[in-house]
Parts: sequence; C-alpha cells; structure tokens
Amino acid sequence: MSHSDIYTQIDRCAYTNRFAKTSPTTKIFFALSALIISVSSTSLIAPIIIFASTTLLLLYFARVRVRLYLFLLAYPTFMVTLSCLFIALFFGTGQPIAEIALPWFNWTIFRSGVAMSIATFFRVEGAVSCLFFLVLTTSVTDLFITLRRAHVPKVLVEMSLLIYRYIFVLLEVTGKMNTAQKLRLGHSGVMRRIRSLGLLAGNLFIRTLEQGERTFTAMNARGYDGEIRVLEDMPPSSKTALAGIAVFDAALVVAVLFTMNIGVV
Amino acid sequence: MHIMEGFLPSPWWEIWFAITIPIVAYGIYRLTKITKSHPEAKPLLALMGAFIFVLSALKLPSVTGSCSHPTGAGLAAVVVGPGITSVLSLIVLVFQALLLAHGGLTTLGANTFSMGIVGPFAAYAIWIAAKKARLPTSVGVFLAATLGDLLTYVTTSAQLAVAFPSNGGIMGSFLNFGGIFAVTQIPLAIGEGILAVILFDFLAKYKGKLLDSLKVIKLPTVGATGRQEEGQ
Repeated sequence: MSHSDIYTQIDRCAYTNRFAKTSPTTKIFFALSALIISVSSTSLIAPIIIFASTTLLLLYFARVRVRLYLFLLAYPTFMVTLSCLFIALFFGTGQPIAEIALPWFNWTIFRSGVAMSIATFFRVEGAVSCLFFLVLTTSVTDLFITLRRAHVPKVLVEMSLLIYRYIFVLLEVTGKMNTAQKLRLGHSGVMRRIRSLGLLAGNLFIRTLEQGERTFTAMNARGYDGEIRVLEDMPPSSKTALAGIAVFDAALVVAVLFTMNIGVV
Repeated sequence: MHIMEGFLPSPWWEIWFAITIPIVAYGIYRLTKITKSHPEAKPLLALMGAFIFVLSALKLPSVTGSCSHPTGAGLAAVVVGPGITSVLSLIVLVFQALLLAHGGLTTLGANTFSMGIVGPFAAYAIWIAAKKARLPTSVGVFLAATLGDLLTYVTTSAQLAVAFPSNGGIMGSFLNFGGIFAVTQIPLAIGEGILAVILFDFLAKYKGKLLDSLKVIKLPTVGATGRQEEGQ
C-alpha cells in the first residue's frame, strides 16, 4: 500500500465497513466524546481504555482490515515516539533524575519531562484511535450532512462537499501528469524535480479554473440557484446506543477523576 | 508541519480554537457575501480548496514528511484574499485529517492558525509590500513563499513551546523546537520559494487565458499590470 492511494483506501473503508449503515450521529457522538475525554484526561487510564475499545470496535465489530488500521497507526506512532523521546530528554523543570556531564554542557533529564512525554504518548495514541474510528466508519458525505443538521454555516458545508468531490478529480489528473513527467525523465535530479513540480502545479491550477467554469455551466443547466441540495437519507440514531455511549463516557470521566493524583513516573 | 491529533494538552488546543474561530468566521462572512452576489464563484472557490489539498499531497524531493501546503495557500491568498483562504485552509486541514490521517481534529485550531492564517496573511502582506517596493515579480514571489513558509514553522514552534515548557522556560523550549525544525524547514522553504517562482512564471505565460476564465476573481499576481483586489 503506497502513501498516495491511502485516500481511496480510507474512503472505500468508510463506505464498506459494517458500521457504514449505522446512524452517523451515534458514531460522531462516540468518536468526539471519547476524543475530548482522551485529550483532556490527566491520567493514563482514559486514553488506554479508549484506545483498546476503539480498536476492538474497529477490528472486531466493524471488520476494518487489520492491515489498513496498522498502516494508519504506524505513521502517528512513529512520529509521536520521536517527539516524546525528544521531550523526555530535553524538556521539563524541577526535580532532575539524571545528570550527565558532557564536555560542552551539563545535560539534565527531569522527572517532569519524562512524565510529560509518557502522558503525551498515551494521549496521542488514544486521540488518534478516536480519529481513526470516525474516519474508517463514517463517510465524508454522512459527516457533512450531519454537520449541516447541526447548523454549521451552510456555505461551509457546501464548500466542503464540493472540495471533497474535486479532491478526487484533481488527484486523478495529477497522477496522470506525474506519470507523464516521470516517463520523460522529469524527476531526475532535485532541481529538475522542483521544476517539474512547478509546471505540474501551474497546469493543475489552470485546469482547476477551467473545471470551475465548466462545473458552473453544468450546474446552471441543472437549475442551480445558489444552493446545493443533497438527498439526506440517514438512518435514525438508536436511543440505546446513545445511552450506552453516555454511560461509557461517564465511567471514563469517573475513572479519570479517581486516578487524577496518581503520578505517571 | 502538522501538529498531530492529541499532541497539544488542554487547555492549549482550546485556546488555539478560540483564537482561530473569529478569523475564520470573518472568512465565512466574506465567503457568504461573495457566493451570494456571484454564484459562479462557488465551484471556483471549491476548486481552489481542492487545489491546495492536492498540491500539499505532492511531495517536494529529499525531505520526508514535507508538505507544499504553504505554496498552495499562499497562491490562494493572493488570488482570493487571505480571509477566504483561511476558510479554505480549515476545510483542507479537516480533509487531511479525515482522508490522510495527517493532523487532527483537536489540533485543528492550532494548525489552521499556523498554516491557514499566519502563512497566507504573511505571504499576502509580503507580496503587496514587494509590489509597492517595485521589486521584480520573481523576487516578490520568492520572498512571499519562502518567508510565509518560515513564519508558519516559527508559529508552530511557538505553539509547541508554550504547551511544552522546558528548563529554559518558554523561550528555551521555543529554541529547542525551532532548532529541530530549522534543520528540515529552511531548505524546504527555499524549495517552496523556487517552486512558487516556477509556478508563477508558468501562470504569467497564460495570463490572458487566465484573466478570461477569471471573470469573478481577478488574478492580481502576474506581471506589473495585474490589478490588486482582495476577493471582490
């Protein structure tokens, strides 16, 4: 799986997983509430429980492909590990736990820095799993229709839906132009690559404008009056599911409050 | 550089949302006004957003994890004005989180501030200043893209520094993050600058055609005769 077709992979998964027909409101409520609890939590317990439960829901119940999930997790995990090592080694104040006298400076590792880095690691993993839950189970269209119902400004939702559509159109065009450049040795050497990228971007920009013109004509021909209407065929949210999520959230908040004063290190 | 999901602890992600929302709200206000008076602008602006996304998905060579978001957003800022660009950037960042797992929802406020507000506003201001100073177009474009890019990373470093203090206080921590970013970002910013110059050069050749297709939004960028108008 290359990085370039990850969009299509995620998008396809959002339409084909077993939660695809569940009410988007329920899924959004679960993902966002867990996300906020995970990020606001001062102890490690909430992010760990959240990570475990979203992973279980995704892999076992929604039947998301394990490979796709692991592929998605790999990048943030790699980045957060690097960042957290950096924080642990160079950040923090107060009580030192190790002092290393190097020839040019005294390197001190602080207890608070290590604590901060461990907390950050688990917070990110918990939050990222919530984001993946939302992304892998809910299609973008469902998401934005739900946002429109939640009275997010109309123009913002319409813009997003149009942008979503055009991302895939432009990606296809870009892929073709990129292949053409590669075939003609346009990527041999750094300077040539930058030049090729510049030409590609320029061409893409002009294509973009032309497409904009054509789309407007097409929309006009179909009776466009300044508003874009989408069929809202949404399954209703189940009260039991919502109540279950609320209980889960409440339990997490209680767990966070009880473990708040337990130090990380 | 996107700050990843969950990386900023409370209260910092909330604070960046609070700072970003009024500016984006102004952008939404302008967007509503323009699409009301010029319905034909709507698909065009949406395509600008998709253009920013696609450009950011194309990697510049040699630096891993790099992202041409600043160039796309800078160009959009010059063409449609920085206010609307902040809204487009916000939407693009949502899609980068949803379709690429790049960045995140809680860090959306902070990322929009650095990449959708500081970068484009700086690029726009530098572009205008360079025009006033009668610098050659290519110099102005290079400065706008490069400095806009660097300012984005300075902002990101500052956002991380206030959230993660070190022994040397916020300043020490800012230098820590900035130092790490500088290694990768200074060559990248210069690459972005060159990219932008080539892009604008190319667009200048097609200026007549462009102005024809841009009935709503004037492209003030290319050549000395281009007019300066923010959005419209």
